Amino acid sequence: MTALDTVTAPAVTRHTSPSRGLVLAMLRLHRTALLFWLGLVVVAAGALLWAMGPGADAAWAEYTDLGCDQAAPNLGCDSPGPANSRYQTAVTVAIGLVRLLPLLTGAWAGGALIGRELENGTAQLAWTQSVGPARWLAAKLAVPALLLVTGTLTLTLLHRMLWSADRGAAINVMGWRAWHDTGVFEVNGTIAAAEALAALALGVLAGMLLRRTLPALGVAVLTVMSLVYVLDALRPYLWPVKTVVTSLDDGTPGIDSMIVETGAMTASGARVPIPSCSGEPGCDARTGITHYYADYHPASHFWPLQLMETGLLLAVAALAAATAFVLLRRRTGAAV
Amino acid sequence: MTALGTATAPAVPPGGLVRTVARTHRTALVLTLLVLATATAALAWLHSLGDEARAGNRACATPPTDGLPSCAAVEAITVDETYASGLAVIATVLSWVMFPVAAWAGGALVGRELESGTAQLAWTQSVGPLRWLAAKLAAPAALLTAGTGGLVLVNVWARGDSNPNLAGDWYYPDVFVSTGPVAVAYALAGLALGALAGLVWRRALPAAGVALAASLLLHSLLERHREDLWPSVTRTEAGSFELPRSALQVAWADSPVNGVPVTRATFHPESHFWPLQYVETGLLLAVAATATAAAFVLLARRLP
Repeated sequence: MTALDTVTAPAVTRHTSPSRGLVLAMLRLHRTALLFWLGLVVVAAGALLWAMGPGADAAWAEYTDLGCDQAAPNLGCDSPGPANSRYQTAVTVAIGLVRLLPLLTGAWAGGALIGRELENGTAQLAWTQSVGPARWLAAKLAVPALLLVTGTLTLTLLHRMLWSADRGAAINVMGWRAWHDTGVFEVNGTIAAAEALAALALGVLAGMLLRRTLPALGVAVLTVMSLVYVLDALRPYLWPVKTVVTSLDDGTPGIDSMIVETGAMTASGARVPIPSCSGEPGCDARTGITHYYADYHPASHFWPLQLMETGLLLAVAALAAATAFVLLRRRTGAAV
Repeated sequence: MTALGTATAPAVPPGGLVRTVARTHRTALVLTLLVLATATAALAWLHSLGDEARAGNRACATPPTDGLPSCAAVEAITVDETYASGLAVIATVLSWVMFPVAAWAGGALVGRELESGTAQLAWTQSVGPLRWLAAKLAAPAALLTAGTGGLVLVNVWARGDSNPNLAGDWYYPDVFVSTGPVAVAYALAGLALGALAGLVWRRALPAAGVALAASLLLHSLLERHREDLWPSVTRTEAGSFELPRSALQVAWADSPVNGVPVTRATFHPESHFWPLQYVETGLLLAVAATATAAAFVLLARRLP
């Protein structure tokens, strides 16, 4: 007991506030996860920085050496050379790590952060010490949230730098990535950080609900996967689309934007699917279509779409966190 | 010691141990069976779409000539997209079986029992440690072999004539893994790696994490170096030529030799599918056997 007394003795706590002790204890308890997170950020940031500098230069040099920037590129341009492959690998690894982040966060929050402590009783013991349940849960949410947001936003800024650099000379090297691609879209804005926060809150909620390590981990992973999947499908509908209408002679509109829907229009302006006889003589007159149309999001819709989705994710995170607190209050009585 | 002595007696029926494993892991068992049933039903449905999907993916002409249908009529058939994306999802699921298996084996099957002491308690009952581990590995291994193997067969059946426009080329990573015995070997390697990680770390979450990381590493290493697992074919010709679509291109160079343009292509023809499958399956089974042997040696050395 002497050792324990020394720890909580006022002589020590006079200098360090209880919150600070709580944060330090958390960082120490989850040092493996902390190191893993730092490693992940360092690897992804390193990959992006390398790709921005030497990687892009080498890929571009190889591209021009092969003559692929000429008017008539040869067949070898179909498959990227080694320098281009390395560049693509670096960018893919960085984006892949960021996309993996919500799953890892949810799994860790459900399993290690909450589920394990409630399963083996560490949490219940901690609540009898200097920290009440509500402060305990607040620290469990706040410290990882701060670290997650800082790291993810760093990666987002780096990827935005890479992205704007690539729009310049090396546009062909990056040619087949578009601003609205899954992965690119998330990393280029605030969605990546918001996804991590929502995953953290959902993981915490799963841990609070199930109170067992592995089931909480499994449920958290499945929930986060479904959330990411649903938002991906919902994305084009979060902001009003623009519509382009082309005449029948111009054919269906080809736009380098996020296409939501394409079809044909009749004289009354009604939207119909492109008829199956399209292109055959007399088809247009027979079916009564007069125009083609496409609903799309231009690149200027990037931020409205980003902010709408970020708002949705933050609402999910807030709701999950609030539910976790309510659950904790019910379980521990008025002590909270 | 009496209890332990009984454990090694031949009179004990092995069914009880397997039943215990199945009962402890009933959630995992039910989930596995659900996934198997869903995937089989989905594949049967996809197979029934096959003919219409192929009709929606045939050659066409605008305006229709030479007996070819109009392109708009072919495009109006949208079943081919459903068929293609359905097959792609199943292929991905089949080639990722290893990851949940490894995490489960490291976390729930072995790690949790050693962390909470259930394993140590079980060893004092009618079952010795080595038989305990053998049952933990054999029962899931049998289920995984039967399940994954069966699903691969159903997948090959649902792919019909394996039209690469619909079902993907044979060398696509997911397609390659999900159409041959290598799928079963991946699942077994995941199980063995998970069990080894559980025995080394003896804690649920670190073991699950390490097993998952090891599986990801193994999976991506093999995917990257798949083309090196069997000698490739080289074709060198003056001028330019194109490889058939069914060829997996490994390297391509066109450089003039003495002023004559020479193209040199290194590739795997489709006939290399089976040699590549066998080599990769062999490698994975070797990994699984090594991990299993290491797990048993580790367990035996820990015992007093």
